[in-house]
Amino acid sequence: METLDLARLQFALTSGAHFLFVALTLGLATLLAIMQTRATLTRSDVHMRMTRFWGRLYVINYAMGILTGLVMEFQLGMAWSGLTHFAGNVFGASLAMETLVAFFIESTFLGLWIFGWDRLNRWVHLGVFWVVTITAYASAYWILVANGFLQNPVGAEVVDGSLRLTDATAVLVNPEALLPFGHVLSGAMVTAGFFLAGVSAYHLRRGTAEVEFFRRSLRIGVFTTLPALLVNAALGGVQFSFVQPMKTAVFGGRDADVARLQAEAAALHGPGDYVPPILPTQLGAMIMLIVFTVLLAVSGLSVLLAPFRRAVLGARLWHLLLIAMIPLPFVSMIAGWVFREVGRQPWMVEGLLKTEDALSDLSPGTMVFSLITLATLSVLLMTLNTWFVARSARQGPEKPVTGPAPAEPVRVPVLTF
Amino acid sequence: MEIALLAFFAIGYFVLAGADLGVGMLLPYLGRTPEERGRVLASITPFFLTNEVWLVTTVGVLIGAFPVLEGELFSGLYLPFLALLLGWITRDAGIWLRGRMDRPGWRSLCERAVVAGSWVAVLSWGFILLGMGDGFTVGLGALVAVPVAVVLFAAQGLSLAGLRLDGAPLERARRIAGPLGGRTVYALTSIVMTVACLLAGARLPLAENLADPATLALLTPSILVLTPLLVASQVWLWWLFGRAQVRQ
Repeated sequence: METLDLARLQFALTSGAHFLFVALTLGLATLLAIMQTRATLTRSDVHMRMTRFWGRLYVINYAMGILTGLVMEFQLGMAWSGLTHFAGNVFGASLAMETLVAFFIESTFLGLWIFGWDRLNRWVHLGVFWVVTITAYASAYWILVANGFLQNPVGAEVVDGSLRLTDATAVLVNPEALLPFGHVLSGAMVTAGFFLAGVSAYHLRRGTAEVEFFRRSLRIGVFTTLPALLVNAALGGVQFSFVQPMKTAVFGGRDADVARLQAEAAALHGPGDYVPPILPTQLGAMIMLIVFTVLLAVSGLSVLLAPFRRAVLGARLWHLLLIAMIPLPFVSMIAGWVFREVGRQPWMVEGLLKTEDALSDLSPGTMVFSLITLATLSVLLMTLNTWFVARSARQGPEKPVTGPAPAEPVRVPVLTF
Repeated sequence: MEIALLAFFAIGYFVLAGADLGVGMLLPYLGRTPEERGRVLASITPFFLTNEVWLVTTVGVLIGAFPVLEGELFSGLYLPFLALLLGWITRDAGIWLRGRMDRPGWRSLCERAVVAGSWVAVLSWGFILLGMGDGFTVGLGALVAVPVAVVLFAAQGLSLAGLRLDGAPLERARRIAGPLGGRTVYALTSIVMTVACLLAGARLPLAENLADPATLALLTPSILVLTPLLVASQVWLWWLFGRAQVRQ
């Protein structure tokens, strides 16, 4: 395999791994913020315990998301220095904003939230988590501004062989940034909704004593999925008006259009292959849409069943169905990204910089070693995360404290609460 | 101004997170029993994430204000940066996951991950800091730079341990400091770390690689406005939870 293919594969694996964690984190943060708000407003014990339980899973998942995210920040300069060279004035600035505006604040406030349970005033503690949630959105926004610029380079012009910013507003409201932002956010809500519903269904099916706890959690999950799916579909549909013509032509299997666009590109940019890899592009889109249809059907059914206590507690087939749905949103989210990213090849910056010209000058040996180590680490982190999240989810919430807390020996603080 | 901001975040990382790395490297020395090691790790656990964000933002400022240089530096020193990532992630995974399973075997595995990860990260920093000035390649200077890096990070770690630990681990940390007070030692090692960081950074062709003025006109004011907020949020965190940790 050539260095270019190795580098692309490495980026695909590491960003895919990272995004799996993000997909759950973004949506779950929102639901947690709402849960904790309700718990703080109403002093409801069950909602506070729900926040703690689902928050525990959130923290485990978030940690693994950070670790994979570190790879992303470094990888762009390491393997794709041609990109920072050509588009750094715009692309780099968006990434810089992501680290400063979002990640720094998000991590600090997450630390405050984790260690602030029972120490901070409950309104302050709530505010802290809302900051975590909003900065998570900000993170997604800035990353999509960067990626959106690659797909649709607006607000900049080529001067002396590299891009220079001319219209910052255009970059910030780029439809290829805003629409995917809404699409990813609603997709994350779908992911979190089915996660809540599925894990709750697992406990209810096992005959948990925490009936109220999981009944409420299941309903929150279910009633999140339907509006989120509809918003997601709407934004996805609108995006098709803005997406690269070649991408839609390949998606639609319109060979005549593909050939025509290829000829136009060759005339404009010189000879070359301007058609993206057809199979991954089409498969990505197809899987995304098929999974969406399945999720929509299950969501619709679930919304009809969820208001009925007897169904929530006892419909065992439905429980099984909800449990089975847990991994599906992740599949759809990744498939969507494959469609978006593979479908824009051979372009790194649409119409301006080809992927092969963005690659750093690296030996194949370096790239092979890098790919193997990072891929192994990513797989390890994904495995550990799945294992620990599943384990923690299976354990269920801590017992409610009924009397005075027994005296505890000094415990080593862990990143949990 | 951009250079000053870059230096600010870089120094923040090396002083704050450098201590965490030092403690991680010396974990087997500071903690002889599992219980001791648990307490040593507990002294850095609440802060390690908020300390390492300083590096994330340093790289962010580098990418934003010096994009071309960032690409050349990171691709030129690909393998050292890869090693840094691998070591860093391994260490972090060890810290995050250690408390997840209540089994001695698991905890011991995580501790080893912390030690190994910390060592790999520090060794990588030796290569990177050296490579910053040599046209982004690494030669025989590594024979000097890497041991120097080890000493720097270990010293920073020991001085932090002198402030945070108690019991036998504290005595082991203080053995090297001698008669000086804990805070004095921390200040001294931090100053040395800062100087080393500035010396390495001064060899980077920063001024010649500034981003386009149109970008900086928006980016730099944004960073200037944000930085006090970022620092304030961290100070709040330390104020809330540092007091429980810091020993007088």
